[in-house]
Amino acid sequence: MPTLTVKFEAGVRHLSFIPGPSLRHILDATDTQVRSGCRGTGACGLCLVRIESGEAGEPAFAESIHLDDAQLAQGVRLACQVIPRHSLGIVILAPAPKSPWRRLDGQGKRRKNPFPLNELPQSVNKPYGVAVDLGTTHIRISLYELSSGGWLAERWGLNPQMTAGSDVITRLVAASESPAQARAMSQWAIAAIGEALWDIAIREGINLQQVMRLTLVGNTAMLALISERNFDLLLQPSHWFNVIDCLPDDTVSWSIAWNIHPQAKIEVIPPLAGFVGSDLLAGVITTRLMEDKGGSLFIDFGTNSEIALWDGAMLWVTSAAGGPAFEGSGIRCGLPAEPGAIYHVTLQDGLWDYAVIAGDKPRGICGSGLVDLIACLVRLGTLTPRGQFSPTVPKEGFMLVRGESDIVLTKRDVDMFQRAKAAIGAGIQALLANAGMRYEEVQRICVSGAFGGSLNVLNAQDIGLLPKISPERVELCGNTALSGCEDALLSPGTVERLQRLADRAKIINLSHCPDFDMHFLENLYLQPLRGA
Amino acid sequence: MNDSMMDLLVKALLDGDQTQAIIEVGKLREAGVRRRQIITDGVEAAMTQLDAKCTVEQFNLLEIMLCGRAATGVMKVLYPLGAPPLQTKAAVVMGTLEGDVHDLGKNILKMVLTAKGYRVVDCGKDCSLERLVDAVEQEAPVAAGISGLITTIIPQVRQMKDKMAERGLGHIKVIAGGAALKQATAESLKVDFIAQSAFDGLHYLDQIVGVRHE
Repeated sequence: MPTLTVKFEAGVRHLSFIPGPSLRHILDATDTQVRSGCRGTGACGLCLVRIESGEAGEPAFAESIHLDDAQLAQGVRLACQVIPRHSLGIVILAPAPKSPWRRLDGQGKRRKNPFPLNELPQSVNKPYGVAVDLGTTHIRISLYELSSGGWLAERWGLNPQMTAGSDVITRLVAASESPAQARAMSQWAIAAIGEALWDIAIREGINLQQVMRLTLVGNTAMLALISERNFDLLLQPSHWFNVIDCLPDDTVSWSIAWNIHPQAKIEVIPPLAGFVGSDLLAGVITTRLMEDKGGSLFIDFGTNSEIALWDGAMLWVTSAAGGPAFEGSGIRCGLPAEPGAIYHVTLQDGLWDYAVIAGDKPRGICGSGLVDLIACLVRLGTLTPRGQFSPTVPKEGFMLVRGESDIVLTKRDVDMFQRAKAAIGAGIQALLANAGMRYEEVQRICVSGAFGGSLNVLNAQDIGLLPKISPERVELCGNTALSGCEDALLSPGTVERLQRLADRAKIINLSHCPDFDMHFLENLYLQPLRGA
Repeated sequence: MNDSMMDLLVKALLDGDQTQAIIEVGKLREAGVRRRQIITDGVEAAMTQLDAKCTVEQFNLLEIMLCGRAATGVMKVLYPLGAPPLQTKAAVVMGTLEGDVHDLGKNILKMVLTAKGYRVVDCGKDCSLERLVDAVEQEAPVAAGISGLITTIIPQVRQMKDKMAERGLGHIKVIAGGAALKQATAESLKVDFIAQSAFDGLHYLDQIVGVRHE
């Protein structure tokens, strides 16, 4: 992979990239961004960089307008117009003010069913729509042109409520104990969405007053906290499997906070129950799970993994709490899927190899890397299906990378992973049992959440993380919550589909499943799933 | 040879091999070894070794569960009617709180305590605080154990002592354990003790009832 070397006063930074996107896009994915005021069309002329080494190609037309001959002779260019093919050394002449909002690339994304024109308000010339996935850890938003369904911009960043606790329960307790804290948490989330929108506005040159529609999904706790409605009920087990009203009383203050059109239609997709948020519903909608004949499984991997099984007539849903191992948390050298995380591990002819996100030096290992590593070790016989290392492995664990930061897999890590896996496996088994189905009848599996698109399906199946069906029928769907939210924003008929979903859904409480312990124990083994 | 036969039982238990463990018990019984001795020298000895292995983190959850299953299987063979195997030291009420399906930790503790001579009143999983406090009132135990794997149960744990005090049961100790609770402090959970493992819980209980450790 070619490398982009960015020189700063403080030092240099090396970024590996796959040729294709512009220099601005490459930088936008990092926290060292270049200033901009348009969507990278060359219109604003703000994204100045100087080429220090390497071949950047001939200046584009937009550059000949914004830059004079002297600048061009010095190697000054517009980052949005340079498409690097090979390694390049640059200096950012116009650094952007630091923003906590990272850009997601959705260039060329277009929705098949744009919002029907006749339903659009006539008062605004070019109406925009915004989709928001309000997650426990991250907030993701995307902006679309409503009439064409064309993608315009996307951002993701941390949910500022993280400062009040990284898990949902801590935040719910804090909110229940103090009205001021509840108020603050709602305000933080609202402000964060506003900041992300503002980041789009200034960096992409978007007039937010043209935003006429905003659709928001999230887990039940996040919706209850932002709306300041019934969050205390979520602390009572009797409500976890019931409908909880967490829609906001008034959204006018939200549209003011976000500086969008005063008549913008703000829609919060209601959750199904305490444990089944609208983020899961969005996932079921966007994967079109319920349009299949039956035997379709949807798994949203996370600390609390939601699992849905469509049997052709009913949608069986449950939530399995297995701990944060898939997100790299609680693992000695674990990392979330971020730059520096090993996301693939292979073993060929006795040689270990690995791939690191953003090509940086490895700092740790994320969920998909963990699956690969454990599967390879089991295949090699270095790790038993029970999770015991062979005597050749030192007490400290298996060392994958020796270097500046050693990357080690301990027996405890494997244990954590086994527990997380067993929770999912037992959950799947419970759904199958309720639907009266067997593993062999699973026709399709949609994987969303923690693993993104990086999961090695064969490895996952070999250690029993996924049922063993033909790998082509396993789809890695990435973040289905945002994409389902976009469906709700843009496609007519989504509301009807959501209603149909609610009518057909049956929520399964795992604590009422008689054989749960036995299934959990069976699923602790690192081996392919056996028949239910 | 009595000793080596007993060693084979201990090994089968530690391997989590229930079938083998039951075979070994059959052989011991044939050789005329009393049930009581099989419990003390076999099951209890295995528990002591398991204790040591868990302390140095040699064992993972699966191994502990398999060992527990094997030990429970052996108990069932020895006492098919579930008669109390030993003179009990004291009673302990325990349960996994409402909303939590993972009662494995609780089951391990139950197995360890039973093997070590406690009478365990198990309220099961997904147990409401009310039901747990009812059991405490009825059984007059030395302690009540509550467990939970997931953090969602923390708010319930924090109410336990108060609910017991309301019924004049404030003097009975409350022990909490389980993945979700291990990180917390006893004060923050409003309990008397947080057991880091089943054996940690056992040692604490032994301390309360005044059992001396050799």
